[in-house]
Amino acid sequence: MHTLGYTLRVVWACLRKDLKSARSEPLYTLVSIILPLNVLVLMSLLVISGGLAPTAVVMQNSGPLAQQFYTAMSQAHSFVLQRASAEQADALIEQGKIVAVVMIPADFDARIRHNQSVVVGVQINNLNTDFTNDIRRALPLSITSFYARAEPSVVTITPQERDAYPQDLGYIPYLAVPILVIGLMVGGMVQAGTAAAVEWERETMKELLLSPASRLAVLLGKMLAAFLIGLAGATVVLAFLIAVMGIRPVHWGELIGFTLLVLALFNAWGTLLGTWLKRRTPLATLAIGLCVPLFFLSGPFGPISFFAPIEQLVARVLPVYYAIVVLQHAVHDFTLNTQGIGINALILAAYALGGLVLATIVVRRSTLAH
Amino acid sequence: MKTLRAFVRAAWTICKKDLRVWLRQPSNVAITVLPALALLFVDALSAGAVGRSPVALVMLDQGARGQQMAQIIRQADLFRVSDATPAQAQALYQNLDVVAILTIPANFTREVNDHAPAHIEVQINNLNTDFTNDIRRAVPDAITQFYQQQGGASPLKMTLSEQNLRRQDIQLFQYSAMPLIVLLLVVSGLVSSSLAAAGEWETRTIKELLLSPASSGAIMCGKVLTGFVTTTVLGVLVLGVGDLLGWVQPQGVYWLSVLLILGLVALFSAGLGVALGALLQRIQSVGSVAIVIALYLFFLTGGTAVLAFDPAWLQTIATFVPLYYGRHALEMAIFYQSSDQLGREVAVLAGSALLAVGLGMLAMRRGLVESR
Repeated sequence: MHTLGYTLRVVWACLRKDLKSARSEPLYTLVSIILPLNVLVLMSLLVISGGLAPTAVVMQNSGPLAQQFYTAMSQAHSFVLQRASAEQADALIEQGKIVAVVMIPADFDARIRHNQSVVVGVQINNLNTDFTNDIRRALPLSITSFYARAEPSVVTITPQERDAYPQDLGYIPYLAVPILVIGLMVGGMVQAGTAAAVEWERETMKELLLSPASRLAVLLGKMLAAFLIGLAGATVVLAFLIAVMGIRPVHWGELIGFTLLVLALFNAWGTLLGTWLKRRTPLATLAIGLCVPLFFLSGPFGPISFFAPIEQLVARVLPVYYAIVVLQHAVHDFTLNTQGIGINALILAAYALGGLVLATIVVRRSTLAH
Repeated sequence: MKTLRAFVRAAWTICKKDLRVWLRQPSNVAITVLPALALLFVDALSAGAVGRSPVALVMLDQGARGQQMAQIIRQADLFRVSDATPAQAQALYQNLDVVAILTIPANFTREVNDHAPAHIEVQINNLNTDFTNDIRRAVPDAITQFYQQQGGASPLKMTLSEQNLRRQDIQLFQYSAMPLIVLLLVVSGLVSSSLAAAGEWETRTIKELLLSPASSGAIMCGKVLTGFVTTTVLGVLVLGVGDLLGWVQPQGVYWLSVLLILGLVALFSAGLGVALGALLQRIQSVGSVAIVIALYLFFLTGGTAVLAFDPAWLQTIATFVPLYYGRHALEMAIFYQSSDQLGREVAVLAGSALLAVGLGMLAMRRGLVESR
């Protein structure tokens, strides 16, 4: 039985060795540190589109009621509006710069005032059902909003809204948190995984396996080294989120604590993956290549209870989901499930421990040919 | 003629060798196909729930108008509705089982009949604007349907006359599958070619190649051919499976334009991959860099979204990325049986493919010279 002191010495030795290796490859280490930032920028491109349909409005009537209808459309949470002539609108939709054209007819004001029927033309580039249906629903919203203001005695039924949070959070600030998690995942897994895999590639694992050091202590040392390097990457990413994207975390202590926990978790699973694959190339490529699907599978857009049962089932298996839950609470004070932050954090810790235990088992069962 | 035959034989032999090496490493096959296949799986999983948020409906009004409004809300394809008492609704809301509670108040019918203001109370969990705006759109849509059911007596005199540019709406999953197939082609071409090229330097087998009677041109062509063959075969396979499953179904002569575009994208990504592999000459870094480049190319053309929704600067950048034209050509051919702007798109892709292959060959030539 090894004493605790001996085990700690092994951990410390492996940590120092890996840190020295990282220092001897400064370019690669620098790339590892900025990798999470790279993933953040990449994922930001994915979500930058938002949900507002670029639409041209052809105002053949510019009376006060037509202007009110235009205002109602602009407040429908659905459009990015621009005024255009009919020819300009045709050109814009042809070029794919807008997806809809709304034509307010010349006799709009007169007809509304005289309580006559009026037809508003809508031309939609119906490329897919998702945004097309959003536009089809946004226009009735515009109509009822318009009547609620212009003719409140005519259309008397209106929605009366009460929100859970004082103001809506934009699409990008909300998604910045799941993107942060994915960045930490890729950075943590690649750093720890390559540190583990390189021992097999260079066959230095022979010496480690033949030594009296325990497998667990060796892996812990390597994980800690990856964790320290990953901290630099996490700092860069957080600094970018705060300084460039303007995110202001609500709970700083939670943010720091959960970031460290999430990083440790992905270090553990990276070590497992690196130990299992024994090759750096597929590890790094898979970690980066699967970041986008994992992002979508882990409930980035809201509480997974709002989604289909199969999506809920898949998300609950993935540690990325729990990481998103705790960090959304830390950054925006949002509650994404009813388990409580403590339980979610415990689940993350369990995943981290599980990764380390599995990695130890894999190392025990692995051999290296002479 | 003999020289040409020797050239082709050498290039084909190198290609066959690289294909065998690639197939013998399942991890390389996995990293080529897994990312895009995983995205396709995600796409299929999420397409079904788009736009239908779970809501609780509380009916406090027993009158005809209230019943009518409740029926519209239930039957419209807008929500996944759970009827509930106020207490049940609050419990569902607090447990995050519903996005919103819609309450039709007790005096709704009386107020509507008296032409007095009648409110539908909407309590929303507005932590995400996407869900929130879906509810904000859906409730007035239900109100509009309520008035429309009054026919000529409806106070809503404004109606919409919709004209669609396309003869059919494409389901979101099908629409998203097309750019994912393009992503698969790019990842495959970049990763397989770059690994094949870099592997020669890393394993130092480049010396044997240089000492062989095969010309440098044949070696370079062989490398490009490797990426082109693997990518084209993969693309045709996925397209075939997509056709069988009903995701993407080209019709008649449009199969030819689809295959042409597929081939050009494969050639473009293979050329780029060879350039990358010859420049980096290290397997470990080349795999990751290839994936990152593929993802950037993919997202810079709008990913799976409609490019018009992206900021103007991204739309401008997209016009300089060859994949933008490939994606457009495939969409037109598969979804709309149209060859709209096909000439332009083929010209851009062919030019880009030639440029990429040229770059690849230049990079390899430089590497070969340094290795002599």
